[in-house]
Parts: sequence; structure tokens; C-alpha cells
Amino acid sequence: MLKSIIKRNEFITFLTIVVLSAVIGIINPTFFSVSTLFNVLRASNVYAIMAFGLLLVVILGGVDISFVAISAVSSYSTHMLLLSLGYEGGILLYFIIAGVIGIAAGLLSGFLIAQFDLPIFDLSLAMVTLWYGFDLFFIGATANFDLPEGMVGYYGAHILQVQDPVVGQTGLHISVLYVLVVGVLVWLLLRYTTIGRGIYAIGGNREVAIRSGYNVKAITMIVFPILGLLASIAGVTQGGYQRNFNPVLFIGQHLDVLAAVILGGAAITGGRGTVIGAYLGVILVQLINRALILTGIPVEWQQFTVGVILVVFTAVPAIRARRRKRIGHTEESEKFQEI
Amino acid sequence: MAQELLRAEHITKHFGGVTALDDVSLSVDEGEILCLVGENGSGKSTLIKIISGVYKADQGDIYINGNHYKQLTPIESMRQGIQVIYQDFSLFPNLTVAENIATNEMLSTGRFVVDWSEIYRIAEDALERVGVSLPLDVEAGTLSTADRQLIAIVKAILADARLIIMDEPTTALTQKEVHALFDVIKDLKERGISTVFVSHKLQEVREISERTIILRNGKKVLDRDASELDVKTIEYHMTGREIDTSSLEFSEPRTDATPLLRVENLTLGRGFYDISFELMPNEVLGITGLLGSGRNELALSLFGHLPPESGRIYLEGEEMTIRSIEDATRKGIGYVPADRIREGLFLPHSISNNTVVTIINSLLTRLGFIDEERKDEVAEDWIERLDVKTPSGELPVESLSGGNQQRVVLAKWLANHPKVLIMNGPTVGVDVGSKAEIHHLVRNLAKEGTGVLLISDDIPELMRTCNRILLMRRGKIVDEFVRERTDEEELNRALVAAGGNGSGTGTTTAG
Repeated sequence: MLKSIIKRNEFITFLTIVVLSAVIGIINPTFFSVSTLFNVLRASNVYAIMAFGLLLVVILGGVDISFVAISAVSSYSTHMLLLSLGYEGGILLYFIIAGVIGIAAGLLSGFLIAQFDLPIFDLSLAMVTLWYGFDLFFIGATANFDLPEGMVGYYGAHILQVQDPVVGQTGLHISVLYVLVVGVLVWLLLRYTTIGRGIYAIGGNREVAIRSGYNVKAITMIVFPILGLLASIAGVTQGGYQRNFNPVLFIGQHLDVLAAVILGGAAITGGRGTVIGAYLGVILVQLINRALILTGIPVEWQQFTVGVILVVFTAVPAIRARRRKRIGHTEESEKFQEI
Repeated sequence: MAQELLRAEHITKHFGGVTALDDVSLSVDEGEILCLVGENGSGKSTLIKIISGVYKADQGDIYINGNHYKQLTPIESMRQGIQVIYQDFSLFPNLTVAENIATNEMLSTGRFVVDWSEIYRIAEDALERVGVSLPLDVEAGTLSTADRQLIAIVKAILADARLIIMDEPTTALTQKEVHALFDVIKDLKERGISTVFVSHKLQEVREISERTIILRNGKKVLDRDASELDVKTIEYHMTGREIDTSSLEFSEPRTDATPLLRVENLTLGRGFYDISFELMPNEVLGITGLLGSGRNELALSLFGHLPPESGRIYLEGEEMTIRSIEDATRKGIGYVPADRIREGLFLPHSISNNTVVTIINSLLTRLGFIDEERKDEVAEDWIERLDVKTPSGELPVESLSGGNQQRVVLAKWLANHPKVLIMNGPTVGVDVGSKAEIHHLVRNLAKEGTGVLLISDDIPELMRTCNRILLMRRGKIVDEFVRERTDEEELNRALVAAGGNGSGTGTTTAG
């Protein structure tokens, strides 16, 4: 049943994507193009990487919004540091340094939460302000456009080039590979390790998880550095792609990522959620953003529309669950249906 | 003589100034089924926690398998084969049956990588060992209470339990499921696994127990072979007084009057069909049936929580529609739920506030604020009338025992002076003493003219309080019994037969 329900939530997400695409395509036929596909995938990449990290926290039973600030502080401070050292190489060193910063920032959150039993959401509220503030005060207040030699070409680092009849040359950015790798790793973690099963267990029933012998503290502590690492990867990728590094990168966009995770079938109360669902959720959010442009609806409606869809997605399973519960839903009551 | 598995001697435990256990001794033999009986607060839970190492006894010794323990730890207790099944069953509702069963074993290997085929193998083997079948791929949270309990038992067996302690295991089970559980317990006995069965359902204690220990106020007052005990003796020792089981004063329903409540062809798609009955003034009408028979849904429909799809409801001869709980309350229908914790009370709030909540609108001053003085007066009055045992109405409801909490729920609805009171399992989880008092109260209400609809599967309760009893099965009323012309046995038979071929659980028991 677990599988069928979750599959069902994912399936609904998938279906919504299909229907939405069809609607946009009918209104604006240029939507159906390889270039659109590549664009949606490209735009989804950084959000998907963060969503996979956030997914772990949500399954654990928490909500974190500080990861966007960790993205910003890790990528921006790495960039400013390497710039001051006269670094002219490629993006790899960026990933390594930012990754270390991201892990460290995550460890700090994880340690505070696990050691002092702090509420995850409350702490992340503090952390999001703390890290953006740190970034602006200590590192720099403006976006920096000076890229090292080795990173100038990253923007056009495509793994696939296609001739699109409408827009001409179009490519699939290399960052889609990161999504694939990160997605598979997170899936393996969740499905095939005791840490992953522990995350689901804690989200399902924390007390029982403790009694069963899961090391709840350690598992809680490890989830946040993973989120920090993934956030830093997303931050560097975004900086490299948009060719500037910004101290307030992704500010205000934590809700897009959270929305994506929830749209993908994860339960905000914990215990449920899948990698594939989170990815579909990200695609859906990006699609909505694009749809509004392509169908000529003012951009101001973007947030509103995401909100409406979220309401529907939150309400439908809840109403369904309530109806099931009201009628008792024993096999007995189902049986006399047939009479 | 069977080998002794566990012996606890002269256990004493204080919490602050309160003595929870006072020089209690107990022993369990291999394969023995021991019932531990006592009212709320008698020290049952404390004793269990000491045996399982959760609490440390202030004085006394524990011997398990001949080893002496002064300070028992939970881990040592488990290692010695003592497993406690708590009322929440310690399950992960979001994980599959297989994973729930295999989790502990999987973790004990200390491996980092999870082998799913191993999980399924462990779970299958364990189910086979206990002789039950459950779907492995299903989320545990979607199963019936009985099936979740089975998972907990299977987990205990898997942990090489030699003694399984079950804390109030039958509270949420139907009669049929209780019997299935008893079969499992007897089967465990055959393998030399002992059971300590904690309960205050005396009928069940009589049925399963080999030896019964009764605690009262932290002292052991009785330790005897079950064959020498009857329900009355157990009741006497539990409460320390004779429970008044003499028949209650029965006021005859007024047959000449307009029915208080008349229901015609009431139907709710997936709940019940074509329900018709009348409830007269001064009458207590029982509605019984197994879980899933539609009795719950019917109660909720009449109270406006699940508006019916078709049919008519007449209150004192006037047709009315009940679309919401507000409708029902305004028209004089009260509802006492079975799950008083979740549906009936605001636990952290004061007893007074809980009592007046249904009539809060009548306690407002002209400015629309609550008249605190009158509120307290009304609340005090009800606390006195229903004999709620509390030093003050200002204490939170959660500070009360189960029986007293149930009285507050009653007070809450009685304060509204309902014409019809629907009581859904009013004594579930209430100890014997309080139960008898609640039964008195029900009869008194009827005497004063209230019509009471009592929904319950507790046959003795129905026999003691109801004038008539309707039996539901698969959403329909299939039989009607008049109190004077039936007895507990006939009702019991009818109730079990009403289960027919469909039980609420996917349980089969081998052996």
C-alpha cells in the first residue's frame, strides 16, 4: 500500500505535468520544442539538487529553509576567495571548497538540532538570516562578474547539441548529469542504507525509532551536512552558469524548492517522499514558471499559481484520507458494498 | 512443575511521596498465562516497567532464568527474553509490514547496507514461526488494530521472547479479534512462551487466565489460580468493595408518547442502509454489532458528523435535517464519543472549561465576554452531580483518571440538556467501579425523560442498561432484542454470528 499510495502521488504529479504541457502547447505551439525541453531541464537542475537534499529533511519530519543561504554563502565566499588568490582554473576547485563550506554549515545546524533537540524549522529560520547576513557583511555586498579563465566556458558546457528549428543551436547543459548522479546517490542512500531507512523510520515514529535502536542523533546530524553539500553544489553551478556570483543567491526561493518536494508526494509531517517524486515536483514548478511566460500570463501570477496548485495538492490527499477514515474503512465495510 | 522464568520479590517503588508499589511479589513460570488486573493507578504499569527494566525498584529483587538482578536495565531485560507490547505497538505506520518486523534484526547485524531480500526472508520466517499470515508489502499504518498487534507479537517472538507482556491488548479489538488473539497466546504457551496479560476486562481475564494477580493501590491483594475465581470476586478485590450489580431501576419507556427520535430509511452510502427505529422518552436503546457493522457511522450520522444521504429523521415528531454537529447540538442531540481523548475533551484545559464548552453561548455577559463566575458555578454544579473526583475544577482534564474523564465528557453534554443522548462506547477503557457508576447515570437520565442511544459491543453493559437492543450487521439492522426476553448468551451468539464470513482482519491462526 505504501508503494501504491506514493506511486499514486507521483503519478498525479506526472499527470499534472503532462496536462499542463498539453495546455501550454495548445495556447503556444512553440512550446513543443527541443529547446523548451532543454531549457526546462536546465532550469530545474539546481533546484533539483537542492530538492534532493531538502527531501531528506522533510522525510525526517522537518522543514529547513536555510539551505538557500548556505548555497549563497558557500559559492560566493569560495568565488571571492579564489578571485583574491588569482585563481584561473576550472569549476572543480569551486565545488571542492564550496562543498567543504556547505558541509561545515550543515554540520553546525545538524549538531545544534541533534544535540540540543532544537526544532528544525525554528533553527533554519535563524540560519537563513545568519548566513545571508554573514555573506553580506563579511564577504561582500554586490554580485561579482569576474570569472576565472577556466570558468568562462562553463555556461556553454553542453553534453548534447541539437539544431532546433525555432531557436537554432540548442544544448543540454552538463549540470543535468549532476542531477542524475546526486539523484541516484540519494536514492541509494534512502533505499539501501540503514541511514536512509532510519530517516524514514524517524519520520514515521521518532520514539519507536529510538526504541528500535536507530541512532537518531547521528542520523539527524548527518542529514544536514548532506543538504549543505548539495546546496553548495547548486550554488556553484548556478554561479558558473549565470556567470556571476551573488551574495544573496536564491534568496526567497526556498519555497519553490519546498513546494517541489511536497508536490512530489513527500509528507510535510515526515515519513514519506521519494527522489523521483521530488524531481517531478521540481519540473512541475519550473513548468508553471515557464507556462506563464509562454501563455502570456503576467509574471506576477507565477507565485499565485504555484500557491493554488500547492493548495490542490495538499487538499486532495488530505480529503481522501479523511473520507477513508470517516467511513471506518474496514474490510467489513468494503465488503457490504458488494451486496 | 514448570520451570520458573521470572520472579520479582518484595518490589517497592515510590514516586516522590507516592507509593506506587508496596512490597509486591510475582512469579511467572515457563509457558504460563498470567493476568495482571487492577484499576487505573493500582500500580500495574509501574510493575511492568520494573520487570522490563524501564524503572528501577527502590527495594526488592528480580530473578530471571535464575539470575539475580538488583538493577535491571531495559537491554538486559530484553536480552533475557522479556518483551513488552505497549498499546501503541511500537510500529512505524509509514513502513511496510516486512520492514517493521525485520527492523530490529536488521539493525542488530550492524551492517550499513540494507538487503531487502533478507528483510523479506526474516519477515516471512517470523510470520511462519508464529503461524499467522499478513501481507508483507502493505504499510503497517493501514492495517487494523488486530493486525498491527500481530506485527508487534511477531516482532517480540523474533527477538526470542520468552515472556511477552501485553498492556491492555484488547482495548481496540472486536470480540472476534480478541478470540484470534487468545488463540495466538495459547499457541505461544505451547512453545513455552509465557504471557502476562494486563487488562481490566474481567470477562476476558476469566477466559484466558491461568493465574490472576490483582493489584490495588500498589499492593498485591490476590494471587490465585484462575479456576478458583469468578468475575464477582475479581471485581471485589480490584475495587475493595462490592460492586452494585443488582439490576438497575428500570423506568418503562412511555409507549403512548411521541417518539423522541424517529428514524426512517436512513442510508449513508458506505456506512449503513435503510435504518429505521424509534426511541421513546425514558428509553435506553442499545445498538450493537461488530466493528465495521455500521454502528459507528450511524452514531456519527445522527450527530451530524456524517450527514446521511437519504432517509428521514424526526425529533419529537418534527422532521429535521442534520447537516452538521452544530445542527444536532442546537436541536438537542448530545454525543458522548468512545475516544474521549481525541473526540471528547480538550485535555490540557481545565475541567470547568471542558464542562461548559457546549453551553458557552449561554454564559456570556452583555458585552460578549464569558461570565467567569457563572461558568464556575455551572461547572462546580456538574462536577458535584456527576461525582468527578478532583480537588479543583481548575485542574486540567488530563490530570483525571479515565473514568473521571468520561464523566467530564458526560457533564459537557448533559449541561446542554439534550433530549437525545448518543453514547458511543461510553465505558471503553473505564475501570469497573466507574463503569457501574456510568451505568447508573445512564438509567437515571432515562428516568428523567432523556432518550439514550447506547452504542456498544459490551454485552453485559447492554443488558444492564438498555430496554431494547438492535443488532447491526453489514450496515443493516438485522435483529431486535427486548431486554426481558433475552440473555447475555443469546446476544453474544447473535453478535458473533453477525460477523458472518467477513471479519475485519486478515488473520489466520495455525495450530
